[in-house]
Amino acid sequence: MIEDHAASTSPVRPASGRTLLRVSHLSKSFTATKALNDVSLEVAAGEVLAIVGQNGSGKSTLVKLLAGIHQPDPGGVIEVSDGSGRLVPLGQEGHRLHFIHQDLGLLPMLSTTENLDLGRPLGTRWILPARRGAEHARAAELTRHFGAAIDVRAPVARLSSAERAIVAIARALDGWRHPENVLVLDEPTTAFHRDEVGRLFDAVRRVVALGAGVIFISHRLDEVRALADRVVVLRDGRHVAEAPAGHLDDAALVRAIVGTDVRTDVRTDVRTAVRTAVRTTGPAGSAAGPVVLAVDGLGGEHVHDVTFSLRAGEVAGVSGVLGSGREHLNSLIFGVDRPSRGRITLGNDRIRTGDVTAAIEQGVAFVPADRHRLGAVLPMSARENLTLPRLRGVRRRLGAIDRRDEAAVTRRWIGEVDLRPALPDRPLATFSGGNQQKIVLAKWLRTNPRLLLLDEPTQGVDVGAKAAIYQLVQRAAAQGTAVLVASSDAKELTSLCDRVLLMDQGRVVGELSGEALTETALIHAALATGVSGQAADSTPEGGTAS
Amino acid sequence: MTTAAPRRFEPVAPDPDPARRPLFVRIRRSTSVRDISAVYLFAALFVIFALWEPDTFLTLRTWQVLLDNQAIIGLVALGLVVSLSAGVVDLAVGSEAGFGGIVVAWLLARHGVPIPLAILLSLLAGALVGVVVALLIVRARIISLIATLAMSSILIAVIDWISGSQQILDLGQPFQKIATDELFGLAYPVYILALVALVVWYFLERTALGRRIRATGGNLEAARLAGVRTSRIIVTSTVACGVITAGAGVLASSQLATGDPTIAQSYLLPAFAAAFLGSTQFHGGRFNVAGTLLAVLVLAVGVTGLQLAGAPIWLPDLFNGIALLAAVGFAQFQKRPTTRTAAIRRILRPRDGLDQEAVTKPSAQARA
Repeated sequence: MIEDHAASTSPVRPASGRTLLRVSHLSKSFTATKALNDVSLEVAAGEVLAIVGQNGSGKSTLVKLLAGIHQPDPGGVIEVSDGSGRLVPLGQEGHRLHFIHQDLGLLPMLSTTENLDLGRPLGTRWILPARRGAEHARAAELTRHFGAAIDVRAPVARLSSAERAIVAIARALDGWRHPENVLVLDEPTTAFHRDEVGRLFDAVRRVVALGAGVIFISHRLDEVRALADRVVVLRDGRHVAEAPAGHLDDAALVRAIVGTDVRTDVRTDVRTAVRTAVRTTGPAGSAAGPVVLAVDGLGGEHVHDVTFSLRAGEVAGVSGVLGSGREHLNSLIFGVDRPSRGRITLGNDRIRTGDVTAAIEQGVAFVPADRHRLGAVLPMSARENLTLPRLRGVRRRLGAIDRRDEAAVTRRWIGEVDLRPALPDRPLATFSGGNQQKIVLAKWLRTNPRLLLLDEPTQGVDVGAKAAIYQLVQRAAAQGTAVLVASSDAKELTSLCDRVLLMDQGRVVGELSGEALTETALIHAALATGVSGQAADSTPEGGTAS
Repeated sequence: MTTAAPRRFEPVAPDPDPARRPLFVRIRRSTSVRDISAVYLFAALFVIFALWEPDTFLTLRTWQVLLDNQAIIGLVALGLVVSLSAGVVDLAVGSEAGFGGIVVAWLLARHGVPIPLAILLSLLAGALVGVVVALLIVRARIISLIATLAMSSILIAVIDWISGSQQILDLGQPFQKIATDELFGLAYPVYILALVALVVWYFLERTALGRRIRATGGNLEAARLAGVRTSRIIVTSTVACGVITAGAGVLASSQLATGDPTIAQSYLLPAFAAAFLGSTQFHGGRFNVAGTLLAVLVLAVGVTGLQLAGAPIWLPDLFNGIALLAAVGFAQFQKRPTTRTAAIRRILRPRDGLDQEAVTKPSAQARA
């Protein structure tokens, strides 16, 4: 059913309608990597083209090329319809592509009417009093057309997420003189409640009915099936498959997204190898260790009723799409955000929720995803960052930090993590991302934590440092630290973790471990089971798919 | 494009261990214009005024007066360094000094409070102001710039209310002696400044508290997540700042033998100019005691020299304003990436780096 286009690059002709957007042989290189490699596709009038792929498959690069944020490599051409059926290169013929990004680009304090008016040229009206009544009526009609009966005078912040998206769409569409435009929806449903998605889709269908083309980029396969006419799969920057949406089943699609080669099993082998190599020197396998962390009915702003426990020496992962609560669980446990209910116990002590310093005292360590804002004090030196979490551990003389002792501690740790260059007195800001992250990890390992919480531990980190960070985490686990890794990188989770919790809509909806824990299964779970409860069912199927 | 793509980066040129560098390299580095420009500026100003006004500028008395006068500004600047280190931009330092000065005068002249107690109470008043400022920042979550700007206005009102907008006279001879008695040709405030400078330097540079203060100022959220109780740190530093500046105000009242309600504003700008010019010295971009003291001296020499040369009364304000702009501008200039630091930055922020690269060099790539 799915045609594999890894070899041939000519796109499938759209079934109906005139071509509104044609992308041919589009590539984009960043220094050493090809983020996008010879991708061709077309969007016809009156159709919804879905583009799916993993993180890093080139979806965002494609969007940025279309939006003109990046320039394509030579040879790639983007053409749009000029309204009379001819295709002209992008940029010559006004704005033909319209983008609805995740954040929608609305000003929350302004009303719907004001938001709709923002982009329109004022002409001579700039000095005249606004004709409020007429403008409100116009705004109301426009939004009603897309299925949102809203108070156009209220600040946009008070609308539901689907209503906001509809306002954004209405704004993008406002001012089209003819329907030969393409609307690009870049993961618009991430922050949505399930029942809101339908409303947005109705609005999108109305746009399509006008004769426009839509590109829909999403992580969720159920949404793709519900909305799209055609699906294009990107993998490693290549256009690898394309098929009408009606011809799809999940297994085939996941296979196309992940790739049919069996790399995932190789990964698992590496994990076991690293583990056993380290474990031989350390105590306690994952199953034998005592329970270190017990989370019971934990709830907060983005997380609902999460219960699980973690043993000493165990590495558990947290997987889920953006907005699933995956990115909030760790900070909730650490106390960055204050939980609204539930209980967290560490060993025999209950963690005082919402108190970071107390959590550190109790042996919790947290590496946040945003290193620049939260992870490290970049203007301070590597040494000062390293000793910051437990300054009391450094000897004192006359109340002052004993600099010789601190230097010794620092030397030991930069050897341990292989900091490069090994110059701890430099501001941390002058190190590469990978080496910064090594210091962030080292500062926590130095506190000898019972529980290590990691958020996207290798984000923006080069390959060499990535391997070093994995080693450090494994070694900490081998020495009895319980580790919880929240990551959007399926490879990372399979190579680090003993088991992985699957999150959706703020809840833990399943778990993968042992044989079932493969990259394919993780991606399948994250993509296909937007709806709670299906995760467990799909696990074996996804696991055997490759 | 968020992929963890293999990203090549050239390792930063390895610097040898500072201690093992050859001596001449160490001397060259430690005397580079970049780190101690103010020393060269000082030398240049000294030579200019020595040639211009040799009869007055080169006398011992000129220098004694200069140091006596600058001691109080130096104290205010040190208080400011403490709060700036914690990330609090304290626009109220001038008013805090004025407040301390008026409180001590009021207690002495109107209430006959004994001198030691009066001084202690006015230092406490300074601490109280610090607590209020910290609460506004930490509890009410008002940004420090606004909180202290408002606080400054409130303090000026309080000063006028206490003093009835009149100078408070008759502070008594013994009180006056504090700031005017001399030891080895220098008035006491100079020694007090030296002592306070030593204490502030020790705490900021050598103790765990100082480390935490600088971590808070460097990145409050990251410091908090590393277990630093940032709210307490902010309270501590604003209180320290309040006490030091109030002390400066007490010395000012003693020096003038008057509780003057109008002195508040005259300290703000010199203190800021000194703290920011000082931050460009020695430690490259970080507020520090030695740099600040050097900056106070440089600014004072500039102003004094111009005054001796017969410059008009408004000149010090002009000089301080220009000096502040020059200092901050110079610091920005230092931060501007050279090709090497630009390369480092690209590695630092891979995602932004890629974007920047793509945005700034499309033509180069198109041609390739």
